[in-house]
Amino acid sequence: MRPTDDTRGDPPTETIELGGLSLWSRGIIALSVAVLATYAIWHLAMVFFFVAPSNTVSEEYRSTVRGYMYPEFEQNWKLFAPNPLQRNVAVHARVEIDGQVTDWVDLTAMDIDAIDHHPAPSHADQNLLRRAWDFYTGAHDEEGEPVGMRGELSESYIRRIALLRLDESGVDVRDASRLQLRESLTRVPAPSWRTEDFDTATAYEELAWWNVTRDDLPGGGE
Amino acid sequence: MTEPTFPTEPTPSTVPAASTVPAAPTVPAAPTVPAQRGPAPAPPEQPRQSLGGRFDAWLARGIRNITTRALGPYQTAIVRIGFATTALLFLLREWPNRHELYGPDSPWGFDLATRFVDDNGAFTVLLWSDSTLWFEFVYHLALLACVGLLLGWRTRAMSLLFMIGVLSLQNRSIFMGDGGDNVIHLMAMYLVLVRCGQVWSLDARRRASGREHPADPVGIVLWVVLGLTLVGVVLGGKLESPVWSMFFAGMWMVHGFWWLVRRHAPGEPRIVSDVIANLVHNAALMVIMVEVCVIYGTAGWYKIQGSRWQDGTAAYYPMHLDYFSPWPEITDRLSGSGLLVLAMTYGTVFVQVAFVFALLNRRAKNVLLVIMMIEHAGIAVLMGLPFFSLAMIAMDSVFLPTAFLLWTDGRARLLARRLFRRRDGDGDGDGDAYADAAVVDSVVADVTDRERRQPEWAKER
Repeated sequence: MRPTDDTRGDPPTETIELGGLSLWSRGIIALSVAVLATYAIWHLAMVFFFVAPSNTVSEEYRSTVRGYMYPEFEQNWKLFAPNPLQRNVAVHARVEIDGQVTDWVDLTAMDIDAIDHHPAPSHADQNLLRRAWDFYTGAHDEEGEPVGMRGELSESYIRRIALLRLDESGVDVRDASRLQLRESLTRVPAPSWRTEDFDTATAYEELAWWNVTRDDLPGGGE
Repeated sequence: MTEPTFPTEPTPSTVPAASTVPAAPTVPAAPTVPAQRGPAPAPPEQPRQSLGGRFDAWLARGIRNITTRALGPYQTAIVRIGFATTALLFLLREWPNRHELYGPDSPWGFDLATRFVDDNGAFTVLLWSDSTLWFEFVYHLALLACVGLLLGWRTRAMSLLFMIGVLSLQNRSIFMGDGGDNVIHLMAMYLVLVRCGQVWSLDARRRASGREHPADPVGIVLWVVLGLTLVGVVLGGKLESPVWSMFFAGMWMVHGFWWLVRRHAPGEPRIVSDVIANLVHNAALMVIMVEVCVIYGTAGWYKIQGSRWQDGTAAYYPMHLDYFSPWPEITDRLSGSGLLVLAMTYGTVFVQVAFVFALLNRRAKNVLLVIMMIEHAGIAVLMGLPFFSLAMIAMDSVFLPTAFLLWTDGRARLLARRLFRRRDGDGDGDGDAYADAAVVDSVVADVTDRERRQPEWAKER
């Protein structure tokens, strides 16, 4: 099959001599070349300075670059770089029902169960909670205070995920008055063929209790 | 550089490239001059041609290539097919989870998503209404757009719908995505500007059949329906972004204009329009190719700075993250060997950093491309990231050599023919051998024909 042009029997543009076109046509073509080349180079320069490490140019033109790239051209290619994550991060949740505090439920373990031996894990298992937790930690400062609107949204989001997962695991979340989350961090043990050795005990970090609102319950926004 | 050639050479002012093409007896858009077919005669090579003259000739050839041809017809087609397939498989895979990811049952609720998108201005039609019906409509429209783009049926319209579908779903729930979604998001936008249906598409087949209705009624219907939708959406105040409004309206008007020009101004206006479409295609193709380089360059250069990539253990760690080790039996065995992990770690960095420079050499590029694709196939299985890997492979395929793509084309046709015949059950050997030979011949003839028509620099590819 040969590349066919939109021609229906007309001669393909491939065989056209530009020199034979009128001055007007050549002018339009020259202008198009100039405009498109400029825009393509501009676009690529923006992409470059967006993904490059912060440098003299990208600092100077930070707002221009970001203004152009967000939201549709946003990209991040630091794939497992500079260093791959070396800790297993899990999110646990528990609620208080009628003054009684339930046991911790490992929300991440549900994801891992679903991913295990699955040839095509779902985004619902591989990304939903994992990235929500990244979003949450990224939108909170050192003291655990939310930063701006993102911080606020990330809290609602993680609360809703937790209550949804607890609900699925059989906890009667509709009667819950308060919710607490904790992060569990476990270092991946050093490879057996390395002399390095680090503490692989799991460390927990508890968040403050949150009051459960109707909005955060599964199907609650309605 | 041994001597300062620049200031000493007589440099004629850069003449518009067109005028440096040897004056062939040209009749603009003369459909009746068969002698016109084929490439322009190469500018006569003069041994002592001045540097300026050679530069002019080079520039003229370059301008000619980017104006008269939409480059890489097979490469852009395989990229189109690759991304449409990836997105299609993804949407089918997530079909049971669609409500949780992008729909009414998502913990990233309509209220949260609305506040987030109001702030960052991302494009999504899914937040126009919180009704389940609307969500189902959009999700299934996106599915259909994938099929349409994959088959190359009304490729331009489908590429737009594909982009609308991809952006709507991803921007509705931005925190569901990973690197694979990011690549699909970018390519969905770039593909809108690429003439990616020149080959291996229903459009191409229809054009080649010559049985097309000159007025193209199906195209008109599609154009009117999409136009009315756009008008309704803009008047209804749903599409708030002036940039997107202008883009969609522009695309719509351009296609109306293109129909008019083809039908009623087959001469110079049509040629100029086609040239501009080629230019847009070639610019977008260049952007796609550079984007691939940016992706691998960034991934590689940031890795170099990491201590784990330096001490040769980096590949071990993702294989031991719960989220990315669906097959611990295999990954444990692989990561048990320090030498193997070192090879994988360094190999990944070498390949990613070297990719950009390997493009300067055809053979090196092809070797790296094969390694990249094998690595992504490995990641697909070992790390449980099949859609990410498919997207990366689809992206890589923009650099596949034309000869390979044509060979695959021929093989596929042969295979299809054999399978088809077996089902028919008329297994008379001689006729089959002739038929097979005919297929191979036609493909080979196609290659040689293209080779002949291609300029020197393009033959390398």
